[in-house]
Amino acid sequence: MTDHASPNDYKSPLKPIWCPGCGDYGVLQALYRALSAIGRPPHEIAFISGIGCSSRIPGYTTAYGFNTVHGRALPIAQGVKLANPELLVIVAGGDGDGFSIGGGHVPHAIRRNVDLTYLVMDNQVYGLTKGQLSPTSPVGLKTVTSPLGSLEQPINPLLTVLASGAGFVAQATPADMPGMTALIEEAIRYPGFSFVNIQSPCITFGEEDQQLKAHKAGMKSLASLGHDPANQLAALDLARAYGTELYTGVFYRNPTPPPTYDALIRQRQVELQRGEPPSRSRVLDGFLRT
Amino acid sequence: MTPVTGIDFERLTLQDALDLAVLIEEEARDRYLEFAEQLATHHTPEVADFFGRMAQIEERHRAELIERRRTLFGTTPSAVERRNIFDVEAPEYGTARAFMGIRQALETVLAAEVKAYVFFSEALPRVKDPESRALFQELRDEEVHHQALVNSELARCAEKVDDSEAYADDPVAQ
Repeated sequence: MTDHASPNDYKSPLKPIWCPGCGDYGVLQALYRALSAIGRPPHEIAFISGIGCSSRIPGYTTAYGFNTVHGRALPIAQGVKLANPELLVIVAGGDGDGFSIGGGHVPHAIRRNVDLTYLVMDNQVYGLTKGQLSPTSPVGLKTVTSPLGSLEQPINPLLTVLASGAGFVAQATPADMPGMTALIEEAIRYPGFSFVNIQSPCITFGEEDQQLKAHKAGMKSLASLGHDPANQLAALDLARAYGTELYTGVFYRNPTPPPTYDALIRQRQVELQRGEPPSRSRVLDGFLRT
Repeated sequence: MTPVTGIDFERLTLQDALDLAVLIEEEARDRYLEFAEQLATHHTPEVADFFGRMAQIEERHRAELIERRRTLFGTTPSAVERRNIFDVEAPEYGTARAFMGIRQALETVLAAEVKAYVFFSEALPRVKDPESRALFQELRDEEVHHQALVNSELARCAEKVDDSEAYADDPVAQ
């Protein structure tokens, strides 16, 4: 397959069971198109996900897929990438999966800089389990678990990943399909850990102002604001507006990407193979001296 | 925000224009098929059937355009790619709803036809090739005809009583 692969080449026969109107349909379509633009055949791609509505994505593609356990997509994806560095590894999940139960894994995946693309479909609610508060739910949100309104401040996914040192951070919405497709493609092409926060509305439990119609009316592209994606401090400043402004585009792209963890591992393996491995007695001597 | 990327309309040839038109119909057909599947899965069979029929209509339009393209240009490879076309005539994903009625479905179709009309109208001033312009004008005018057909169906369709709350689950202790 060449770069002329059709988006439909990545579409599996399994039919999505998301609610009609769900933002994830648009995300899936954008993914097919981004992969078509990149041109890697399905057998060179692996989708890893956790648990949740959006975590069903691996099943809807013809690539390899692993619908893992709740919050553990990133550790498993890192293992997949290290075991088979030639694979293009894409991690998909929701805001709950990524920033609640899986939140502890995010900074470590970022600091290791494994070459992964992490797509979070952020709908500010636990939709699959009928609309409980999620880590990105806004203050005051009324749900079945917060009938009087949430008292908790939401996590800001953009600030979290930027502060952890991610080399590529962007935000998209299915209300701008061409823009979202281009951002996913750019994230996949970035050599290192890349993160796209996708504001993907929950049609069933989401608020009116979080739906695509509201996104269309309110979104502002970072490019139109004159933002320089190489400016990390400006990116941090803009990311503070999460929850009040819907900025789309690249917040930060490291202009000089550092080596990825997978590349460093390969380099270490080559170095070790060059010299003789230490004998068993030398290793034991090392323990005895301490 | 253009629904077609990577295409220079000023250099659009008739072959490109026909290929683009075929892919626009193909995208719409596929989307209606997806909607039909979604609505069938979500217990809305009447609207699922309606979207299934819409997919057949779009397929018929596509087949007609393919035949014209084949007659004029044979099997010359297309320079236009599906991945560059974004919801030109396809209804947007966000417009489908579980338990939607026929009226809402017709309104979804109407919005898609209007969108296609706007696309051809806005593209026309940029298209330089006379044959491509003629095709775009023809397609734009067809969208007007399609809108009239949908509007006449809408006029015959009763207002749907908003009973969506009847299907909502009551909040339960978690």
